[in-house]
Amino acid sequence: MLTCDTYLMPTTLKDALQVWADAPEGSRLVAGATDILPWARDGRAGDVHLPCMVDITRVSELQGYEVQGDRVRLNANMVFQQFLEDETLIRLLPNMPYCAAWFADDQIRQQATLVGNIVNASPAGDGLPPVLTLNGEIELARLQDGAVVTRRLPVADFVTGPGRTELDAGEIATAVYVDAMEGYGGSFQKVGMRRSLVISAVCCAALVRTDASGKVFEDIRLSIGGIGPRPIRLHDIEEMLRGQEMTRELVAQASLKPAELVASRSRVEYRRAVTSGFVEAAIEDALVALGAPKPEPEQRETLNA
Amino acid sequence: MPDLNIDFTVNGRKVARKVDPSRRLLDLLRDDLTLTGTKEGCGAGECGTCSVFVDGKLVKSCLMPAAKAQGADIETVEGLAAPGELTPVQRAFHKTGASQCGFCIPGMVMAATSALRENPNAGIEEIKERMGGNICRCTGYTKIFEAVEIARDVIAGKLPQTALNQDGAASSFIGHNTRRLDAPSKVSGRLKYAGDMDMQGMLHMQVLRSPHAHARIVKIDTSRAEALPGVHCVITSEDVPGTDGFGVFVHDQPIMARGKVRHVGEAVAAVAADTVRIAREATRLIEVEYEELPGLYDPEDALKEGAPVIHDYAADNVVKHIPVRKGDIEKGFAEADIILTDDFSTQQVEHAYLEPEAGIAYVDHDDVVTVISPSQNITHHRHMLSHIIDKPINKVRFIMSPVGGGFGGKEDMIYQGMLALAAMKTHRPIKLVFTREESFIASAKRHPSRTHYKMGLTRDGRITAIEFSMLSDGGAYGMSSEGVMRKAAILSCGPYEIHNLKVDTRVVYTNNTPSGAFRTFGGMQAQFATESMMDMAAEKLGLDPFEIRRRNMMKAGSLTHTQQKLNSASIGTVLEAAEKACRWESGAPTVRGETRGDLGGPDTRQPCTLGARFAEAATQIEKAKVAS
Ligand SMILES: Cc1cc2nc3c(=O)[nH]c(=O)nc-3n(C[C@H](O)[C@H](O)[C@H](O)COP(=O)(O)OP(=O)(O)OC[C@H]3O[C@@H](n4cnc5c(N)ncnc54)[C@H](O)[C@@H]3O)c2cc1C
Ligand code: FES
Ligand code: FES
Repeated sequence: MLTCDTYLMPTTLKDALQVWADAPEGSRLVAGATDILPWARDGRAGDVHLPCMVDITRVSELQGYEVQGDRVRLNANMVFQQFLEDETLIRLLPNMPYCAAWFADDQIRQQATLVGNIVNASPAGDGLPPVLTLNGEIELARLQDGAVVTRRLPVADFVTGPGRTELDAGEIATAVYVDAMEGYGGSFQKVGMRRSLVISAVCCAALVRTDASGKVFEDIRLSIGGIGPRPIRLHDIEEMLRGQEMTRELVAQASLKPAELVASRSRVEYRRAVTSGFVEAAIEDALVALGAPKPEPEQRETLNA
Repeated sequence: MPDLNIDFTVNGRKVARKVDPSRRLLDLLRDDLTLTGTKEGCGAGECGTCSVFVDGKLVKSCLMPAAKAQGADIETVEGLAAPGELTPVQRAFHKTGASQCGFCIPGMVMAATSALRENPNAGIEEIKERMGGNICRCTGYTKIFEAVEIARDVIAGKLPQTALNQDGAASSFIGHNTRRLDAPSKVSGRLKYAGDMDMQGMLHMQVLRSPHAHARIVKIDTSRAEALPGVHCVITSEDVPGTDGFGVFVHDQPIMARGKVRHVGEAVAAVAADTVRIAREATRLIEVEYEELPGLYDPEDALKEGAPVIHDYAADNVVKHIPVRKGDIEKGFAEADIILTDDFSTQQVEHAYLEPEAGIAYVDHDDVVTVISPSQNITHHRHMLSHIIDKPINKVRFIMSPVGGGFGGKEDMIYQGMLALAAMKTHRPIKLVFTREESFIASAKRHPSRTHYKMGLTRDGRITAIEFSMLSDGGAYGMSSEGVMRKAAILSCGPYEIHNLKVDTRVVYTNNTPSGAFRTFGGMQAQFATESMMDMAAEKLGLDPFEIRRRNMMKAGSLTHTQQKLNSASIGTVLEAAEKACRWESGAPTVRGETRGDLGGPDTRQPCTLGARFAEAATQIEKAKVAS
């Protein structure tokens, strides 16, 4: 059970930073609350008492998004459902709709924020791999002498381990900047126990662009979560494929690599077995999103055998 | 604690409330506004029984702090239709029988309503995806999806309104689709489960549970808990006035741990207070000194020489042993052409009924101790409680509230005794609602089992003898174990006529969570072994699996394993129907493979995918491309 003495809902960023800076030790920021409320239950943190909860979902500066040239500024209150429904975002962030479709369920997606997912820094958080492929940078704001000051750092550096980030006391994450990737094919793979409401065992995001002939990987971005303390970009596989002719053999070969990276504490063998097929499937699905025919499952299996 | 002022609209009416800032929207609706159609199945976002519309979007109210309702427009299941009326979705649920225990149903109706509001033309795959956040443990979903499709077509005018009516009344109920009488109360959220009930002056109970699997209780100090303002009583096993002990067969379980704890999660003490929050705080102030004891976690260890003893009355740790003998197995095995042996194991399973355990107890004006709860066994509970509280049977009353799913898991009196004691101590109505976690940790599970199997057969597939030995983990208390072992033994060798058999089912005490009744009551564990053996025997002998079963099946005149003569037997009809329905290709199991023609096709369940939503996303992308 989660209890608190005060629950505040500031409406401007400055107010939010002020009440957050003034909040007694042990207070928490709240966005969608979809991590915080289940966390304060038996078997996890148990009963938790917080002096103050600072809810940022009514802060006007943190609503919506803004396209800024080849970058998109996603403000902190953006929830997962928006990535599934907003046409501009679907076009610019081609792997986000797939990530959103696999995320929790329709109801939780209306509440759960992308930024909350990043700050929560779960090794299996679904929002992190696509954000890494989008070269995400997180913006952190704090008050200094009464003025709002911000700093930015890559999400890859911001998340330092399970549940650990570079967020400092008094800071609020205000936005994530991501690359606009129009023309790329996107995909997201996830294994869990069932379709809805499941935390990933392993998840993987891809963005692929082919040349005009449709035969060469002009660009490719891949990242994977659930195999170690934090999700990672697969730069070496990207290198292996970038500029190369797309053959099933090459993709299959490249996909074998991430199994070596599995450093999880549980189900290691399972995760190794899954990762290879996964990266391959992520690349293929991203190509399918660009219009390639969907490969038969047997084709995949024979190559992996 | 400063209160929070909230102004919002609920089902079209303006509401203003001052609430504890810790409340969730779910608490605000259920406790402050008594809108109990919205349920709490898990409190953790996993089940969807708490779904409500907030500003037109469906959300899980257990995950929403009440403060977020400020200024919002909330719609609950009570607001979908005018009093006494039902929406097309609700009527369709009524028609197809899409409600059994009903506990998930208000949430399901909300999710279906949302799916059709978001996309009135949604296909069945998209409907399934959109309703993915809601769980039902009873219906298997088929009737629910059938209802949503009917409702969709009626709303769209593709089906007439009359499609929502009951199908033509037949002269007999048997073999006809008959609407449930209680469905309207379930689809509208009006049915009150125990956790939805409220009484004047009611107090709330919370339970302190054991963190140890096996430990002696050295001392319980409740003084700090008793002193907390708002606490009305703290009870322990000391408060039991009569002969403590309940159980479906052996009365080996105290109302609360007495002298020692035998499993993690066992109730040790309970508090009744003005609010759940105070009661929970008080449980943390109870000091219990334990002395840990060596525990038993594997049923085989329980049978070893010198194993720790869990219950003094059972020095060998055996709860029950059921032997069944028929014919002469030595002779039977001697007649066999082949002898197959194998081992089978099944795991512990939780019932996960969507309604967590809940109840209210009070002492009425005539001093009758009354307990309202979704008990699956009220008469037995009543008798047991009368001994425990030392009152004549006419001073003990049990009222069965609607059971939001039981599946056997609500046969055990694991909390009703505590409620009765606290009501007697305070003369106030007392309510206890388990959290989902508490339900998992404290309620009985399906018996984990290990079966050693030996089967002798002739070359033409006739079984000559079976030796069947099953060891089950009963956990810390006896509960329904004895009955489960009896049924496992009686059904052990399946619906086959076996002339020579030796069957032993045994259940032992361990320090694991107690095992109890669960659908099939031991039958599943035994049948898993027997039917697997039948298939493996068919494979070994090159026989068709249906054929080998036919050669052994019981017929009119057969003697059962316990030597009852049958007047009739229906297994032949069942096999025939199953063979036809699955479009079985005859032959030994080994002749089939990926090419078998009975895979896929009509009436087979397709694997679930996220196809509908991906397809939708793809069209959105296409649309966006065209637009830009
Ligand atoms: C049933 C269920 C299913 C789920 N399924 C999935 C799933 O499929 N995939 C997945 O990845 N996750 C899943 N989750 C987890 C959760 O929904 C996500 O992590 C979600 O994105 C968290 O966002 P939120 O806005 O709800 O965060 P909150 O719970 O409000 O906050 C999470 C953390 O982030 C901090 N925080 C939030 N916003 C800020 C900010 N702007 N600045 C600084 N700190 C901040 C909070 O203090 C807190 O520590 C699931 C959760 C539930 C209950
Ligand atoms: S999802 Fe809210 S109670 Fe289960
Ligand atoms: S009817 Fe759905 S859980 Fe019982």
